[in-house]
Amino acid sequence: MSDDDKLQRASDAMRAKLKGPDASFTGRVMDQVRKEPRPVRVPRGIEIPRWSIPLAAAAAVVLYFAGARFGSSASSTSSTSSTSSTSSLLVASPRPDTVYVRFELAAPGARQVKLAGDFSGWQPTVPLEKNDNGKWVATVPVAVGVHRYQFVVDDAWLPDPATGGVDDGFGGRNSVVVVGPKGVVRS
Amino acid sequence: MTEAGDGAIVRQVLDGDTEAFGILVERYRIEFGRVAEAMLGDRDAAEDVLQESFISAYRSLGRCRDPERFKSWAFRIVTNRCRDLLRKRPAISIDLVEVPAKEAADMPAEDSELAAQLERAMSRLTPEQREVFVMKEVEGRSYEEMAELLDLKIDALRMRVMRAKTVLRKAMT
Repeated sequence: MSDDDKLQRASDAMRAKLKGPDASFTGRVMDQVRKEPRPVRVPRGIEIPRWSIPLAAAAAVVLYFAGARFGSSASSTSSTSSTSSTSSLLVASPRPDTVYVRFELAAPGARQVKLAGDFSGWQPTVPLEKNDNGKWVATVPVAVGVHRYQFVVDDAWLPDPATGGVDDGFGGRNSVVVVGPKGVVRS
Repeated sequence: MTEAGDGAIVRQVLDGDTEAFGILVERYRIEFGRVAEAMLGDRDAAEDVLQESFISAYRSLGRCRDPERFKSWAFRIVTNRCRDLLRKRPAISIDLVEVPAKEAADMPAEDSELAAQLERAMSRLTPEQREVFVMKEVEGRSYEEMAELLDLKIDALRMRVMRAKTVLRKAMT
C-alpha cells in the first residue's frame, strides 16, 4: 500500500468512527440556554455610532490605580473615594491579584453605556456612569492578565475606539487590555 | 412545508423565541460534533467544546453580522475553541487513540489500527493544519465549502492541507 493509499484508508477509518453527540445533546444545551439572558441585538451598520467618531480620540482605557491591590496596604485614600460610585456594582470578590482599572468612553449623546468583557462573562453587567464632562466611566477590579472587552452603548456593541483590537471570532473586533501586577501594561 | 432558513431562525431567537435556538443546535450538532471530535480526538472533550460553543453563540447571537450565514459563523466558534484547547493541551491526542471497544469490533482490525495511527500522527500537526485536514480528508468537504466556513482563501487551504498530509505521511511510515 502506498503512503497516499494508507493515509486515505486511515482517514476513511477515522471518518467511520466519528459520531457526533447523541440526541440528548440538544436538550442539555437548551437547559443551559434557558438560563442565559436574552441576547442583545446589535443593529447592522452601527458598530461605531456616528456621535462617537469625532470623540474617538478622547476615548481611552487607562490605568487608574497602578498597584492598588485589593486588601493591600497600597490602597490609597483616593482609590476609596474614586471607586465609591461603582463599588456597589462590582459583584466579584476582589482577590490579591486584582487591579483596579478605569474604563472611560467619551459619549455625551449616549443614554446608557455598559462594559462587557471576559471578566464579566461577556455579559454587559458593568454600567458606566456619566460624569460632568460627558465621559462615561467605570472603575473595575480586573485580574492580572490579558482581557478582551467592548462597550455596549445604547445596546450597540462598540470596541474601544482608542485601541486597535483583535478579531473577536464573530466577525467583529474586541479591544484588549493587558493588566500587570502594577497596573495596565498595554491597551 | 419547507424548513426555515438559519437567518429566519436567528431573527426569531433575537425577537425573544429562545426555544427556536434548539432548531439550530439540532441542525448542526452532528456536523459540528464530528469535526470537533476529529480535531480533538476525544468524544467527551468534543461534546464539551460543542456545548460551550453553542452557548457562546447564543450569548453573542446579536453580534452575528449576517444571520443567513449562521452556520459558518457558529462553525468558526467551534473550531476556534478546538484550536484553543489544542494549544493549551498539545498532548491531548496521545491519550485518545483508543477506539471504543464496540466500534473497534465493528471495524476491521487493520482499519482500526490505521485510524489509531492517524490519530497519533495528527498530534504532530498544528491546530490549523489539523482543522483543514479533518475537513478535507476526513469529512470530505470541498475547498469551496471550507473557504466559506473558515473564511480563508482556497489557495491557502490547499497549501495547508498539502503540508498537513506531508507531515502525516512521514509520521505514519
